[in-house]
Amino acid sequence: MILFALLLIPFSFLMLSLLIKKAGIKQRLALLFATFNFLWALALVPAVKFREIIVVQMGSWSAPYGISLVADRFSVLMLVVAAFVFFLTTIYSTQSVDKARRKNGHFFFSFGILMGVNGSFMAGDLFNLYVWFEVMLMSSFILVSLGGERQQLEGSVKYLILNLISSLFFVAGIGLLYGKLGSLNLADLSLKMASASDNLALLNPALILIFVGFSIKGALFPFFFWLPASYHTPPPAVTALFAGLLTKVGIYSLIRFYTLFLYYDHGFWNPVVLWAGGLSMVIGVIAASSQYDFRKILSFHIISQVGYVVVALGFFTVAGLTAALFFLVHNMLAKTNAFLVAGWVHRERGTLNLKVLGDLFNKSPIWGILFFISAFSLAGLPPLSGFFGKYLVLKAGIEADQVFITLVALFVGFFTLFSMVKIWMEVFWKKAPENIAQLAPVELKPANWMLFSSVVMALAIVAMGLWAAPIVEYCQLAAEDLLTPSKYIDYVLGYH
Amino acid sequence: MNNIILEKIARLFLRVIAVMSVLLLLRGHNSPGGGFIAGIVLATGFIYYGIIFGSDRIQTIIYFNTRIWMGIGLGLVLIAAVMPVFAGHEPLTGLWYIGEWPLVGTMHLGTPLIFDTGIFIGVTGLILSIIITIMEVLKWNT
Repeated sequence: MILFALLLIPFSFLMLSLLIKKAGIKQRLALLFATFNFLWALALVPAVKFREIIVVQMGSWSAPYGISLVADRFSVLMLVVAAFVFFLTTIYSTQSVDKARRKNGHFFFSFGILMGVNGSFMAGDLFNLYVWFEVMLMSSFILVSLGGERQQLEGSVKYLILNLISSLFFVAGIGLLYGKLGSLNLADLSLKMASASDNLALLNPALILIFVGFSIKGALFPFFFWLPASYHTPPPAVTALFAGLLTKVGIYSLIRFYTLFLYYDHGFWNPVVLWAGGLSMVIGVIAASSQYDFRKILSFHIISQVGYVVVALGFFTVAGLTAALFFLVHNMLAKTNAFLVAGWVHRERGTLNLKVLGDLFNKSPIWGILFFISAFSLAGLPPLSGFFGKYLVLKAGIEADQVFITLVALFVGFFTLFSMVKIWMEVFWKKAPENIAQLAPVELKPANWMLFSSVVMALAIVAMGLWAAPIVEYCQLAAEDLLTPSKYIDYVLGYH
Repeated sequence: MNNIILEKIARLFLRVIAVMSVLLLLRGHNSPGGGFIAGIVLATGFIYYGIIFGSDRIQTIIYFNTRIWMGIGLGLVLIAAVMPVFAGHEPLTGLWYIGEWPLVGTMHLGTPLIFDTGIFIGVTGLILSIIITIMEVLKWNT
């Protein structure tokens, strides 16, 4: 039940928002349920400390036959951070998203995303992972296109088609794998793969299809096209939610998959993962530096940051996985906050074109500082969370003798700094360009709740930098669990 | 469109299909059938009715808004999923009540029936909400 509640909370909200008509009540309910979801996820942290891996078998059908929900330390970490991001973006969108969208189901579909995300973080078998991916994809597709502006529809068509292709690959891979091994339960599959260790090449077609599916979801090179083509089109609050949750689910699944299956064929998969990660890192950051739209720069940076996580996964040591987890958390927070600031800029000026913007630091120093914190955390400046993330990745890389890729990561860091400084200079620092006609200043209501959620997020980023030690310790325990898949298998199949 | 034969048939058809769908729902646990397919069958009956009488008449027959029906369906699913927890089982476990009833004899009633009924209502509501929206956009009634 303790895990099932995380599916139940969004589900109850979906039910209630169908039954209730008044938009105001729905909005309050959304805030209430988002808070509740966050608190419940937090309550899992002590539980997982005590029970190591929490397993719930739906309908009392035991493991390889039924549907299991599994949460180890890694899942719980992701659940907590996702719930935190969701909580703050919900608060943010009460003021940032316009009234028509809020009335027509903005919260409904964002809870759909939450349900999909929670489900995929806890899925104990492959087919349910796919189903939760679909739940997430459908809700996010509607959120991208909700409102029906021309630009939005263009973005959402690209988004939908490429993600459907990813689902096709994923489910085709699942079919092949099921045909060969006769099971869908992750733990059971891993066990069967261990006993078939001399014929592993036979499984590669299925595994490659699934890997491609995850790479498209996680926006890895060379499958990242959908992300920058669609993320700058919906309202900024929606983009912030997507940036915090969606690609990270793909990466979560990749890490889970690598530590349970792909590592059996380490010689084949390790270079693939390292190259995919390394190229995403480089190409994302270089593509970002040529953009002139606030959200497009940040979208390309998602690709580059995801690359860091995958490279750290590719090192495949305890230090490497610790770094990957820490970096993932840092990235969810910092990236979301950068998009939250972009939402404020969009509200003030009605555009996110860097050439037109300027002089916003004078308008509101607080938002300037908030952007400074998240941007320079992404770039990796010392007291902030990004510094420890990058430091851990580089350290793990050198320890794992991957000096070349470590140097690449270092070099990518400089480029990130360049892009962030560019946004900072263009949006907040330079004088507003005079020759371009400025929009007449609109009287806006004060954006207190937007400010609140961004401040909390920024504080979380700073706190993650200042008190990095306990988080790193937790990540290290999670990484050790990930590197001993036999533990996962024992707990899920009930041998423990 | 006034065609008395068609109108009579459509009314009759709706009733037959409604009975048929409930039958499918009830036999679903052990034989082919179940909530999803029963919902689709019932919705086809309504669609046929709607094509002849217009979507407003569907709306008057089903009384509540389709949104509410979907909500009720999800609510039943929720109840069926959570009920076993209070009886000390894992969520979604089937709880059964086996009783002797007059006329029908021994009958097994359980949470899977509630779950299936929820699916039945939800699916019918969903399909009808799509069809009614399309009919309104096409101005089918006028």
